[in-house]
Amino acid sequence: MDVLINLSLNGLATGMLIFLLAAGLTLIFGLMDVLNFAHGGLFAWGAYSGTWIYATTGSFLIAIAGAILTGLILGLLTERWIIKPVYGNHVQQILITLGLMLVLSELLKVVWGPNQISASPPSYLAGSWELGNVIIIKYRVFIIAVGILVFGLVQYILKNTKIGLIVRAGVMDKEMVQALGINIQKVFMLVFMIGAGMAALGGAMLGPYSGVIYAEMGLEFAILAFIVVVIGGMGSFPGSILAAILVGVSGSFMAYYVPSLSLAVNMLLMAVVLIFRPQGLFGLKG
Amino acid sequence: MNNRMNILYVITAVFLLVLPFVYESRTLLILLTQVFIFAIFAMSYDILLGYTGIVSFGHAMFFGIGAYTIGVFMKQFEPTIPYFLLAVLVTIVLTAIVSFVLGLLTLRLKSHFYAMLTLAFSGLFLVLAEKWRTVTYGNDGFTFRIPDLFKDRTDFYLICLVTMIVVFAILRRFTSSPLGRVLQAIRENEQRTESLGYSILHYKVIASVISGVMAGLAGLLYSMSLRFVNTSVFTMDITLDALLMTIIGGVGTLVGAIIGAGLIEFAHHWLTELAKVHWIFERWIIFFGIIYILAVMFFPMGIVGTLKKIKLNRTKKEEKKAEEKIAS
Repeated sequence: MDVLINLSLNGLATGMLIFLLAAGLTLIFGLMDVLNFAHGGLFAWGAYSGTWIYATTGSFLIAIAGAILTGLILGLLTERWIIKPVYGNHVQQILITLGLMLVLSELLKVVWGPNQISASPPSYLAGSWELGNVIIIKYRVFIIAVGILVFGLVQYILKNTKIGLIVRAGVMDKEMVQALGINIQKVFMLVFMIGAGMAALGGAMLGPYSGVIYAEMGLEFAILAFIVVVIGGMGSFPGSILAAILVGVSGSFMAYYVPSLSLAVNMLLMAVVLIFRPQGLFGLKG
Repeated sequence: MNNRMNILYVITAVFLLVLPFVYESRTLLILLTQVFIFAIFAMSYDILLGYTGIVSFGHAMFFGIGAYTIGVFMKQFEPTIPYFLLAVLVTIVLTAIVSFVLGLLTLRLKSHFYAMLTLAFSGLFLVLAEKWRTVTYGNDGFTFRIPDLFKDRTDFYLICLVTMIVVFAILRRFTSSPLGRVLQAIRENEQRTESLGYSILHYKVIASVISGVMAGLAGLLYSMSLRFVNTSVFTMDITLDALLMTIIGGVGTLVGAIIGAGLIEFAHHWLTELAKVHWIFERWIIFFGIIYILAVMFFPMGIVGTLKKIKLNRTKKEEKKAEEKIAS
């Protein structure tokens, strides 16, 4: 029983981290029709800057805030300089964002060196609770709570505010939104920044969770996020959290019971979804 | 015009054929062999990106399949010609099956899906190569012996050169065939091609299979040139090499892929040497990455494409002048 609970918690926590990455991807895709291959790079930058700020200031809250800020700034620059010039050309977008991914992860190595960096959670989140004979690691609960909080917040903004209304309308028909006199470019920028900020937050929380950070983890998590986006449906925000939990939990169970097949299962899941429901489980667009 | 280009190709080919007998340098020979192998790889990528307009981020997967197939055959069985031929056959069959299935799954969707799925699948192959230790020896890889015929560096150089020329000729013929024309029509305007009655999915899958098989053969030659194979053949770096070579050389022009391969391989070589001078050159990928981004943004046609455009503009201007003369 304790194994089951631990595996589920572990899977949920990983799922939440993937969700933070995939949510930005899916929102940006839904609204701007851009698949951002550099998203993993933003994730890794969040992880490095978070760990670095935590090591220098000693405050975990400042570290998280700093990482989100890094993500927002990088998101702004990316949208301005990289995405905007090639707007509307799919092939160029795909190529250029992959190039950015490469530059971002290499820059990490230039700034912080090519070796792995170890990271640890703050004292109030380290350790675990014991409930009967079940040991629950505090940090995992923290990640799950933050993930749910972010999901709730974004969902609230999307459903209940004016800007959320514009974003949802933009996903459906951006020409119409523009025709109604709304500056959609500004909305694009905002959504891109928020997506990047969420990715950076995910990265910053991953550091203490896995213990070490390295430049290539951006791409590794980006692949998982792509799988999640395909399963959940491109452009579907609720789809991304459900698919992320699915991928996270199945990954953690497979890693325990059949370790050699853990990645293959996600691939298989994706292949099945692509065959029978190519728009994804919750997707609107094909 | 076309004749002049053909003469240029023949002269270059003859020059490269004679080179090892005139100028003896082991380093140059090995470097040029690498250039030829990567030129095959880049040309196969050009069929996808340049001629059909599909972006794949997992081209390393086919390269790696070829590289591991020859390695496993030479290691587990004997390094003889029959087993070599068998390995070639197996490479062709495997890469064809994988590219067929992948293409069928994703090519009916938007271009993003193919890029994403190939990226994910090549990741899967990388993990497979790391985990399947009994055959692949994990991360460390393994060395193997190759048939005597390929042992001499000069002979192998010639074999790679001839293979490259043959692949170039075949692909050039292919791209100017009716089938190749349909692929280019798909690149230019998918909806229109479909409304003309062509089944887009069929053509895209064909392009993906041809490109995959060629990439597999390039991988086979690559690991034969090293007599060693490890998981690095499945990494993103290999795909990026192909991307850089095609884009810098010029997409949609097979020569561009060859020129790009030459440029990147030589630049690679020099920058690795420079790493002794200053540590920043160890991170040479960053330079390539920046050049690549700038190329996509400002120079999307690459070297050959831009040259062609200049030439086209010039002939147009001359035609205009001639017309004006007649008119006046």
